[in-house]
Amino acid sequence: MNAAIQTTALTKTYGDKRALDAVDLVVEEGSVFGFLGPNGAGKTTMLRLLTGLACPTSGSVQILGHDVASAGNAVRAEVGFLPDVPGFYDWMTAEELLRFAGGLFGIERRVLDGRVEMLLGLAGLSGVTKKVGGYSRGMKQRLGVAQALVNAPKLLLLDEPTSALDPMGRKDLLDMLTSLRGRTTVFFSTHILDDVERVCDTVAILDRGRVVAQAPIDELKARYGVQKVVVEVTGGADELAAEIGRQTWATAVARGANGAIEVTVADVGAAQRGIPAIVAARQLGLSRLEAGEMGLEEVFVELVGGEQR
Amino acid sequence: MNGFAVFARKEAREILRTWRIWVLPGILVFFALIGPVLARFTPEIVGAVAGNQLGGFTLPTPTYLDAYAQWVKNLSQIALFALIIIYGSIVSAESRSGTAVLVLTKPVSRASFVIAKVAVHSVFLATLVVIGTLLTWGLTAVVFGTAPGSALWSAALVWLVLGVLFIALMTLLSVLIGSAAGAAGAGLGAYALVSIAAIWKPLERYSPAGLATQPASLAAGKDVAVLWPVLTSLVLAVALVALAAWAFRRRDL
Repeated sequence: MNAAIQTTALTKTYGDKRALDAVDLVVEEGSVFGFLGPNGAGKTTMLRLLTGLACPTSGSVQILGHDVASAGNAVRAEVGFLPDVPGFYDWMTAEELLRFAGGLFGIERRVLDGRVEMLLGLAGLSGVTKKVGGYSRGMKQRLGVAQALVNAPKLLLLDEPTSALDPMGRKDLLDMLTSLRGRTTVFFSTHILDDVERVCDTVAILDRGRVVAQAPIDELKARYGVQKVVVEVTGGADELAAEIGRQTWATAVARGANGAIEVTVADVGAAQRGIPAIVAARQLGLSRLEAGEMGLEEVFVELVGGEQR
Repeated sequence: MNGFAVFARKEAREILRTWRIWVLPGILVFFALIGPVLARFTPEIVGAVAGNQLGGFTLPTPTYLDAYAQWVKNLSQIALFALIIIYGSIVSAESRSGTAVLVLTKPVSRASFVIAKVAVHSVFLATLVVIGTLLTWGLTAVVFGTAPGSALWSAALVWLVLGVLFIALMTLLSVLIGSAAGAAGAGLGAYALVSIAAIWKPLERYSPAGLATQPASLAAGKDVAVLWPVLTSLVLAVALVALAAWAFRRRDL
């Protein structure tokens, strides 16, 4: 499969600050790719470099096989982009804005008529005649998504696309992104882990300008994830935690919210059999025993570290 | 239609649908209408205000050339200052608001973005100057009974070249300086330099500095050689636009 995006040792500095540090990234065509990172990690800088809005200090960016620095309009014709805070001409209506955006791509009028109608419907802006200057942030975000799709792009770049949306708008957008899988490559930056888990097949985690992990989500969880068991008892939790900690299948024990005992285990089956036995031997009441895999959030926290949160 | 034409059409529609259609046109139309009347009735106005303080001093009888001089003086000062202030944000406003990102992530080059702006606003200024000059010309004919056109039109068109040069300059300054007030300040500084440079005759004769003084001479009916100042101004305007496009291309958005 070809790479829709490929960056090689991509670096961007602003004075002394290194916003991106030798980033190597490969996004395969047709994938829905989540670009995760805490605030200030360099996600927006990355998107500005991918769109050619900023020039790299060193390294290169290939988009759909073209070098961004030299390809110019040939690349932009194939790409749709939604910035984190989209800017519009306040004096235009949504329809005028979409026609203007479509015109810049040279889309012929007959095709544009149908596409504008479809995208206004998708954005929930059909029949809205007021000017964009009077829109709420959510309406502007939806219009931003619509304009990014006006050229039926091969590559859709979205910077924090769900940040200004209400729960319904967010669900609609994520469903739409899922529907594009296989037809359009979607690359979106976010710090909302749930969005990534819901729609992405591949993810990269950025921390202080460096990609600290890049893999399909399942592989990432398998690589960094460990199984854990959460136990809640009616009393004597401290002594129970100490005894669990001495078991061979327990690799770590921590105390969670409401007195819960969180046990990282090497063998979840042995833990599921052993914990009830220990609880029964101590004549404690077992109110919760839950085994599960570490989620993306825990992977993210482990990789990025706690200090930024 | 290509990206350049679509963006240029947007610029034209933006003029028609925002404050831009009121400010510069309002200033020019106001002075085009008031100039001939003020010129015609200045002796009466001064006499009424000064009363007996003038003594035996009498003001010369005004002619149509006084109306022309009023128009050119207003173009060279108030209109040019307004132009400098208005166009201090011609590019930076789009960078700040995010609309430049909207456009420049589509198949529109940064050079097209800059050139389309200069082209559309130069045509807009030319239209305003023609309308204003027509109004002044017509009103002068009504008020003074005579209004030969050549002095007025040659002065106005030579000033138009200066206006276009300042649109090009403000475009460059707006690319280089993010603050509209900062760019306008630099533009006013450039205007002061041009005016001072015109004092030295070789510069007045051969450089754009001549356009600061020659429109007034033309409006007064004097025979002035304007070929070199006009040519050098047009060449400089093209160079400034090319420099603006180059600088904008290198700028991170």
